[in-house]
Amino acid sequence: MIDKENNIFDTVKNYYNDYGFRAKDLKREGKKFIGYVCSFVPLEIITASGSLPFRVRGNIHEPITKGDTLLETIVCPYYRSVFDLSVKGEYDFLSGLVIPHGCDSMVRSFSAWSYGLPFSYFHFVNIPSVCDESSFEFFDAELDAFRKSLGKFTGKAITEEHLRQAIRAYNENRDKVRALYELRKADPPLISGTELTMTLTAGSSLPIEESNDLFDQVLTEVKGRGKSPLKKGPRIFIDGACLDNIELIKLVEELGGNVVADTICNGARDHFPKTDVGGDPIHALAHRYLDKINCPKTYRANRAGTFEGDIANRFGDVGTYAREFRVDGAILYVYKYCDPFGFEVPARKAYYQSLNLPLLHLEDIYSAGTISQLRTRVQAFLEMIGQ
Amino acid sequence: MTSYFAGIDIGSTMTKAVILNKGGIASIIGPTGPEQRRLANKVMEEALKKASLSFPQITYIVATGYGRINVPFSDKQFTEITCHAKGIVHLFPQARTIIDIGGQDVKGIKIDATGKIIDFVMNDKCAAGSGRFIEVIADTLEVPLDQVGERSLQSKNPSKISNICTIWAQQEVASSLSEGVAIADLLAGVHQSLADRIIRMVNRLRVEDSVIVTGGGAKNRGLIKALSEQLGHKVLVPEDPLITGALGAALMGKEIVEKARQNNTPLETKERILEEIEIL
Repeated sequence: MIDKENNIFDTVKNYYNDYGFRAKDLKREGKKFIGYVCSFVPLEIITASGSLPFRVRGNIHEPITKGDTLLETIVCPYYRSVFDLSVKGEYDFLSGLVIPHGCDSMVRSFSAWSYGLPFSYFHFVNIPSVCDESSFEFFDAELDAFRKSLGKFTGKAITEEHLRQAIRAYNENRDKVRALYELRKADPPLISGTELTMTLTAGSSLPIEESNDLFDQVLTEVKGRGKSPLKKGPRIFIDGACLDNIELIKLVEELGGNVVADTICNGARDHFPKTDVGGDPIHALAHRYLDKINCPKTYRANRAGTFEGDIANRFGDVGTYAREFRVDGAILYVYKYCDPFGFEVPARKAYYQSLNLPLLHLEDIYSAGTISQLRTRVQAFLEMIGQ
Repeated sequence: MTSYFAGIDIGSTMTKAVILNKGGIASIIGPTGPEQRRLANKVMEEALKKASLSFPQITYIVATGYGRINVPFSDKQFTEITCHAKGIVHLFPQARTIIDIGGQDVKGIKIDATGKIIDFVMNDKCAAGSGRFIEVIADTLEVPLDQVGERSLQSKNPSKISNICTIWAQQEVASSLSEGVAIADLLAGVHQSLADRIIRMVNRLRVEDSVIVTGGGAKNRGLIKALSEQLGHKVLVPEDPLITGALGAALMGKEIVEKARQNNTPLETKERILEEIEIL
């Protein structure tokens, strides 16, 4: 459990570095953990089933070896790393794994996961690629099927009340994350990007109640600072997919920038949208996961009729965050072979240009070996902003 | 008291030092080895000798390049992107696009009318578009590196090099050689393939005149010709393209000192001591 004697960030670091140790403890107590990847798995359904969701992570310090014998290298290196760690037994404490249609690699590799890993439960969540009326009808049914499948596995029929409880707990968690982001608005921010992203990443390895407790303690600790321990510097926005290794954010901050906002999956993308309460919980979850999560995986039709209007609709969240967090420059960080983000790069660049916001586009291979190359680019970018 | 500013640029292949005062510059160049710290000292010492100065006379020292963190006596570090831009804009105030072809890196830098950097690109993950590519091919063809450019200009029928991977291009060149393709044609082909790769990257910046090519690659006339032809822009080359980064670093130091003097703020500098260098 959380040790209140220590500085809370020591606890966060422990959860982050020894990722999954709490889950291993709880497994010994008889709890079942269900692993997942991506922003699109409804964690509320897993929690409502009485099992516990656990986000599987990659590791940029671990060379991808065994995984590449089972998965082709056309898949993005982040996903390959997650798979590699999994087949090396890193997540053997899990009871099951849920993979959504978050990108083409996730669909195509689903069978490799289910053949290569020793879990007794596998489920694939089919996410519509568009956000039309029929998509919601389909997705309602898909989530209902997931509820039944998981209920059968855990031996517990998941009721609407179970779902409502879980929705409340996750909405609470998202409020706390928002409150943490509020602390970034000061200049310099009260909390560093490294601390914040590490906290959120640690949270994804914990049961929701413990994650809520952890975030509360971090909030208390940071609010108690009064004055920021950081130096003023360019306020940097990180735009990209899952950044579950802290090195890029740490690098920006070592070089004098302050990371103040993001769209990343283990950041604003996953943690900002809340689920509507009151109506049918499955329908509310379908709406939250399909429409409120702004991921390039989903095709959104050009309703504006112009290119400028289209990019403003698709990437409007970036502009909102940039204003809200008074951003000086942005880093668009894309993994090599990431098809959803890769295809969007030119349009995203055009959007940044329309905001008149300096942008550094980095394509990387999810490996600690590229840090010194990234250092030159990031430092030059910070120098450019500071001219 | 006269102020002197030093810039030291540790690249992947060459280490360069420039000492600058109001009048002229003194520069010195040496190969970068595995012992960057020791070399930084040695190059600095030689530059001081050339400028007839003692180390404490240097007002400010800026380090740049890939080994910039390995210069223990530097007062500040800037990336080679910032320093090359500074050096080139000093030499060519009309510069809008800079292409720096180094030993392992190729960089494109876009400059606005006031001399500020507005964007940059760099090769990533692979050094196939850099000076190293030419070194490997020169070695395969047994042509001294400094003759590669001239020899390629003799070609009337440049061969096509289809591989962009340095290692495979080396094999391709070796097999063409055994089929009797002339060395000049192969070298011209290599330069065209290299220029093609560099331009593909730099074009992301929307190339505008004046285009300045710098770094070791700029000394290769064959490559400059290929770049200029394929870009469709006239390409300018500084007199000494190896030292523009170090020059820019020295100029960055000069700016810092002038600003501090203007604002009457204290200048933070390191103690002017060069570590003892053992001579093996």
